[in-house]
Amino acid sequence: MDVVFNQAFAGLSIASILLIIALGLAIIYGTMGVINLAHGEFVMLGAYATWALQTYAGLGVVTALPLVFVAVAAVGWIIEKVIVQRLYTRPLDTILATWGIGIILQQAVRLGVGADSRFVSGPHWLSGNIEIGALVMSNYRLFVIAFSIMVLGATWLLMTRTEFGMKLRAVIQNRGISECYGIEAKNVYSVTFAYGAGLAGIAGALITPLFSTIPTMGTGLVVDAFLVVIVGGLGSLMGTAAAALLIGEVTALFSIVINDTLGRIAVLAGIILLIRFRPRGLFPSDIRH
Amino acid sequence: MNTKLSYDIIGLTLFAGVILFGVPALFSYDGFELNTFSRYLSLAIVSMALALSWGTTGLLNLGQAATFGMGSYAMAMHLKLKASGDGLPDFMGWNNVETLPLIWGPFQSLTFTLLAGLLIPAAVGGLIAIFMFRARIAGVFVAIITLAFLVAFQLLVIEQQGLTGGQNGLTGLAQLVLFGWKIDIYSVSFYYMVGGCLMAALIFGLYLTHSKFGLVLRAIREDAERTRYFGYNVANYQTVIFCISAGLAGWAGMLYALVLEFASPTYMSVSFSLAIVIWCAVGGRESVLAAAVGAILVNLAEGRLSDVFVEGWHMILGVMFLVVVMFMPRGIYGLLVDAGRALRRKPASTKEALPFDTPLNPKQES
Repeated sequence: MDVVFNQAFAGLSIASILLIIALGLAIIYGTMGVINLAHGEFVMLGAYATWALQTYAGLGVVTALPLVFVAVAAVGWIIEKVIVQRLYTRPLDTILATWGIGIILQQAVRLGVGADSRFVSGPHWLSGNIEIGALVMSNYRLFVIAFSIMVLGATWLLMTRTEFGMKLRAVIQNRGISECYGIEAKNVYSVTFAYGAGLAGIAGALITPLFSTIPTMGTGLVVDAFLVVIVGGLGSLMGTAAAALLIGEVTALFSIVINDTLGRIAVLAGIILLIRFRPRGLFPSDIRH
Repeated sequence: MNTKLSYDIIGLTLFAGVILFGVPALFSYDGFELNTFSRYLSLAIVSMALALSWGTTGLLNLGQAATFGMGSYAMAMHLKLKASGDGLPDFMGWNNVETLPLIWGPFQSLTFTLLAGLLIPAAVGGLIAIFMFRARIAGVFVAIITLAFLVAFQLLVIEQQGLTGGQNGLTGLAQLVLFGWKIDIYSVSFYYMVGGCLMAALIFGLYLTHSKFGLVLRAIREDAERTRYFGYNVANYQTVIFCISAGLAGWAGMLYALVLEFASPTYMSVSFSLAIVIWCAVGGRESVLAAAVGAILVNLAEGRLSDVFVEGWHMILGVMFLVVVMFMPRGIYGLLVDAGRALRRKPASTKEALPFDTPLNPKQES
């Protein structure tokens, strides 16, 4: 039973990271229908930015978060302006173009920083564990879980309680008519893409103490995060959150019953079945496309 | 015979001339140099297979590498058994496998291997296709499902160490003996064998795209719904082309395992699968011939440039791909077609200026 609880906590920890990555992807995909395969590289950029800030400026992971968010969002904004904006009429080609961007970013980091793995130490005030019976929860992981819930809340507020969020929802529902009412859809798209990229950067910063930082770290994450988006259903924040939780927990708990790899395979198979039978996800929103 | 067909035949003849006569003469019939080229030719087959499903029918299959890998493992399993003689393949001993697993047994037979390398990928491709297209899954969801399948399949292959050699793949293979001919991969005749396979695949591909079947496929690409209203069973057409594409990929995989003398799970990686898409896009996704040329050109460039820019090569590849996707979505082929049309238009009256093939609206293309 102890194993189950500890794995459930591990699953929650995976889910919290997945949630932040997938939120960014979901917003980008839900708004402009762009499948951003470079999203994993945004995570990687966030991780390297954190490493650079810690090594050269002595900033801790948590202090670096706002800076990392702004930096990666800026990269995302430029990429949207220069490349993605030209491809809105060709959704399949955005998959390919963003993959190309991913290769370039990965290689740029490899050339600039080197291919060796980098290590970032976690914050001291979050070291140590909380133990409840046999359940051991590391403080840092608890912090990440709490932070991901905050990010979810902030994104929800942004979408529903701000003028920008209203414009964004208007553009999602009908771009043409929104433009007639004076909403600059192009700008909304750019800011949304930048925000999604920034979230990926935050996720990258948060995972640096947990994983080693290497140029290829994003490639595996983007597939998982994308599956979360698909399972969650388009344009639904709460669906994305539920899907992240579901996939994180299922992966973790499956790995007790069978092993890690077979657990992943089972999750992938489940997702394929889901797309086949419920292509709009488990929690589709009412938005018409 | 319409004009487009005659252009394709001229193109194929030129291509065959270069591949079968030009390249061997250029390397003065040196088997070692030609070996590298046979690798490119086998990759050209998988690229043209993708052009059938992606460029012609509009189904972006990101799992092409999975069927390619199945073919390469089929061939490697046969050669591994031959190399191990009466004993078990060495890696099975390391994984405490006592007896030969059941699915390895039939690969003793060459006939079975050749059929399996073609038919197993085709069957798997067909099953995925039936699964997807009966539910009218289209667009990006095809890409996602095939990608998820690829990731799951690669994980499975790596996981089953006792069956597949895990991360190391299958190495230490014997030479293939085909009808009493022991194939030396560093020989000119091997190059001609691979070249012959590529030509056969291209002729088959061109025949398909110029038949009525190919016309329906292009109709599906442009507007699946409208094709359905005309009474065609769209799902069946999509399934058949997926099968054919997967079978050709398996065939290419078998040749690739022969050329490299090993099979590895990296053949089924996401990056390899997207590399196939890159070749196809650079050459021109609408034409099987152009896709094959694209694969050869990109790999040739990789072979030459990665010596010069060891680290920077991937950067060049990424930039090249980005430029192709953004500014020339129809690849080199599209540039040639546009150039040809512009040349024809100059002295023309309106009658001559009519395009010979249906012009594609790049906005509708996906």
